[in-house]
Amino acid sequence: MDLSILAFGSGWGNALARGLFVTLALAAASVVLGTGLGLVGALVATSRFRIAAVIVGGYEVVMRSVPELLVIFAVYYGFSFALQPFLQMVGIEGFVAINAFWSGVLAIGMVHGSYCSEVFRGAFLAVPAGPLEAARALGLRPFPVFIAVKLPLALRFALPGLINLVVVTLKATPLVAAVGLQDLLRVAGDAGKNTKQYLTFYLVALAIYLVLAVLIWVVESRIERRASRFLGA
Amino acid sequence: MIEAFASLGPYVPLLMEGAGTTLLLFVLTLPIGLLIALPFAFARNASLPVLRGVGHGFVLLFRGAPLLVILFLVYYGLPQVPGIRQSAIWFLLRDPFPVALVALSLNSAGFQTHIIAGALRNVPANEIEAARAAGFSRMQLLRFIIVPHAIRLGIRSFGNEAVFVLKGTAVVSFITVRDLMSAANQVYFRTFEPVPPLLVAALVYLVIVLAVSRIVRRVELRLTPELRMTRSRREMPQAAR
Repeated sequence: MDLSILAFGSGWGNALARGLFVTLALAAASVVLGTGLGLVGALVATSRFRIAAVIVGGYEVVMRSVPELLVIFAVYYGFSFALQPFLQMVGIEGFVAINAFWSGVLAIGMVHGSYCSEVFRGAFLAVPAGPLEAARALGLRPFPVFIAVKLPLALRFALPGLINLVVVTLKATPLVAAVGLQDLLRVAGDAGKNTKQYLTFYLVALAIYLVLAVLIWVVESRIERRASRFLGA
Repeated sequence: MIEAFASLGPYVPLLMEGAGTTLLLFVLTLPIGLLIALPFAFARNASLPVLRGVGHGFVLLFRGAPLLVILFLVYYGLPQVPGIRQSAIWFLLRDPFPVALVALSLNSAGFQTHIIAGALRNVPANEIEAARAAGFSRMQLLRFIIVPHAIRLGIRSFGNEAVFVLKGTAVVSFITVRDLMSAANQVYFRTFEPVPPLLVAALVYLVIVLAVSRIVRRVELRLTPELRMTRSRREMPQAAR
């Protein structure tokens, strides 16, 4: 196996690095969006507003049941489709390709959010009643109780689950290549096609994904240990 | 909107065929994955460090790697391994469908190993001690104490894994297998209406997932009567894999 094809500069190193950057950016943006959506989703689903809770709960079931690939296509095609009437008004006809990266972020973020919501919901249920009662007895209003007491405590329960979901979402990012994003796996595939060295390049991609996953798991176990210190060893 | 769905009419057979392929992949992947997972699960819990390492590595590989990478490695990469075209497993790697099945099964086997090994480990030690004290042989211990209890512990995660397998089958459209996902795309490319075929496909996936969850819940309630009353335990945090 000639490894010079992987070199930076003359080989495929630069392209792979760019692909890796796209993958990381996509995963990071999706996780940020998804975690926010998940928090909001969990709050709505556990709120007093029954109808909103049912709607959000149903939406999340759908997001968790349908393949990520389908969500990606739905967002990507759905958006260009929905935009068509407006674009026709300003005189643009035919299929308009919207940005693959951001539709990928939206699609994967929505799926990520539906899983995060489950984690947050469990974490809120796990917060003991004592500290909340104490905060209320001190005269704190509902919002400060939530921000200063409930959320920080819930985060300790939620963090391991949330970080574990980062790996799940990282593993979903290659699917965005289906709408044309040049992520790590797509670049590895192009390199394989060009050099006829599929095995080499897919093994390299595999190794990179595994290293990323292991790094995230290491962070997870560190944080888990740190966040559960208060529970006593 | 209604005309858009009416335009699906001529493509119903195509979508049905796709749904059939998806279902077939789904029902084959789970048991094949289970067969591969069992030895690795026992290896994962073995006392020999080498065996434990093998089990651990197997789980890590598939829990850490994207399914699409595994699929492409098997489809594009494996045929480049010297000598594989002359080997006994080549018949599995020639056509897209068996390749898809191999990749999906291996991936699921990694997760099932994780679930089964965890369930086996968490069988309460006092039950095992009691059975030993009562004179159970190793086989009896496994058959009457460990396996039944482990199934109870693992059934819920197994149900989650089944859903992930179903969702995972969609990636096979990347290697030209005509599953439900690719059928929906085909219909879009022919009708230029993306919403109806994607919506129909989503509905089919949703129906299968709801059916699977229902079956798993039934089995779970049957196996663990003590949980029938306490709903709260069901709602404990359960991160996706």
